[in-house]
Amino acid sequence: MENMVAESFKYMVLGMGIVFTFLYIMVIVLQYQAKLIAKYFPEEPDQPSGGASTGLDKKKVAAVIAAIQHHKNIGK
Amino acid sequence: MKKSIIAGLLLFFALFAGQATASEHAAAPSHVSATAQHTEEAEVHDKSIWELLKSFYKTTGIYAFTTPQDGVVNGEGEEVSSFHQTWGRIIMIGITLLLFYLAIAKGFEPLLLIPIGFGGLLANIPMANMTGDHGFLGVIYNAGIANEFFPLLIFMGVGAMTDFGPMLANPKTALLGGAAQFGIFGTLVGAAALSQFTPLFDFSLQDCAAISIIGGADGPTSIFIATKLAPDLLGAIAVAAYSYMALVPVIQPPIMKALTSKEERMIVMKQQRKVHKLEKLFLPLIVLGLSILLLPESTPLIGAFTFGNFAKESGVVDRLSDTMQNALINIVTILLGLGVGSKLAAEKFLVGDTLGILILGLVAFAVGTAAGVLMAKLMNKFSDEPINPLIGAAGVSAVPMAARVVNKVGMESKPGNILLMHAMGPNVSGVIGSAVAAGVLISIFN
Repeated sequence: MENMVAESFKYMVLGMGIVFTFLYIMVIVLQYQAKLIAKYFPEEPDQPSGGASTGLDKKKVAAVIAAIQHHKNIGK
Repeated sequence: MKKSIIAGLLLFFALFAGQATASEHAAAPSHVSATAQHTEEAEVHDKSIWELLKSFYKTTGIYAFTTPQDGVVNGEGEEVSSFHQTWGRIIMIGITLLLFYLAIAKGFEPLLLIPIGFGGLLANIPMANMTGDHGFLGVIYNAGIANEFFPLLIFMGVGAMTDFGPMLANPKTALLGGAAQFGIFGTLVGAAALSQFTPLFDFSLQDCAAISIIGGADGPTSIFIATKLAPDLLGAIAVAAYSYMALVPVIQPPIMKALTSKEERMIVMKQQRKVHKLEKLFLPLIVLGLSILLLPESTPLIGAFTFGNFAKESGVVDRLSDTMQNALINIVTILLGLGVGSKLAAEKFLVGDTLGILILGLVAFAVGTAAGVLMAKLMNKFSDEPINPLIGAAGVSAVPMAARVVNKVGMESKPGNILLMHAMGPNVSGVIGSAVAAGVLISIFN
């Protein structure tokens, strides 16, 4: 190794360059992906789980209330 | 109390042995007229007590620790100097006890320091030769460390444990994970300069690269690179990498505070958006795809990592992802720790290079932290959304310790300012960044 410092300096430029290029492309792809997904699958995880569960809950709540009322009425 | 009992027993033994021989010597003249057979029997008898005891003593650890021999070889067939046979081993056993203390009393990375420490303890036992090809530790080392297998399995488990949500919510912060990799490459230049211009160190470029990867603060990556580029330095590099990861809460805060003003530390970041499930599912494929296109050399590490993450996010193989996160990573941690510990044998660890590695590793770590913080400051200047510069420090991998430290330092300046999730973004991208940096180093030296 004649000139290790010059050599390692080149590695540094190459290494940091590739690391940043990699992450920068990744960031761009991820931002684009987020837009695409928001466009074609809008709020998908929310609707089925959130919507369905609240609907189910309302029905359940109604059933439970009815049952309690019924029970109370029988008790009287 | 126990000591005195043992000492007493030893004394008794010694006296008994002495008396037995003395009485036989005294009895010998009266047996002059006895048959030849009888004398022979007496000789055999004589040997069985005194000589046997003596030859047994020569196989004890006490003898091996106190009387160095010429021509003692270690597992790899290299001769071990007399210092490394005696004081060296004792010092190393002391060091392993220190590792136990740090792990148990101080809670520093106990999952790794305990197996590594115990491996080191076993590796320094004289005569047992556990680090040899047929020794317990040697078998483990050859099975998974010499061929870089265990670090990849660990990486798989880490992938299965990592949640990329915070990074996906604010992808720009991923760049901070890149800036922190300057710790690796900056130290590479520094180590090369010190080796070339000063008589302090004498590392080759490969050695420098393997040492500076400690700055990535990523244990498995450090082991992976060290085995590839500088297997002789593996023990010191692994111990340095894991010790500094454990010391994140000690090393990082002073650097973070020195480089930021109080106002900057008090910056409150916007709450993160909700991340779609599909984004998380595609992320490992995107990362792997990029590394296939740009840097196939890094795909062993990134491939294992993304496989683990994909199994987790796919949501249909919970059994597999659960095994990777728990059972598998635990088994591999045990084996990896013991295997790395085998490199703590005195003749490998107590050499001049180790001190250089410990110092350069610390520098790499500090430089990485500083680079992350400075980059975050820069981004804060040019970004529309406020960015607290502290989160840059989490760009060194060390998941999730570095992010927790950021959170703590942030809370000190402004109670209630929770930076944990914002710091997790650079933190997990730091894992990708250091894997990419590792891939670059491998591609350079291949």
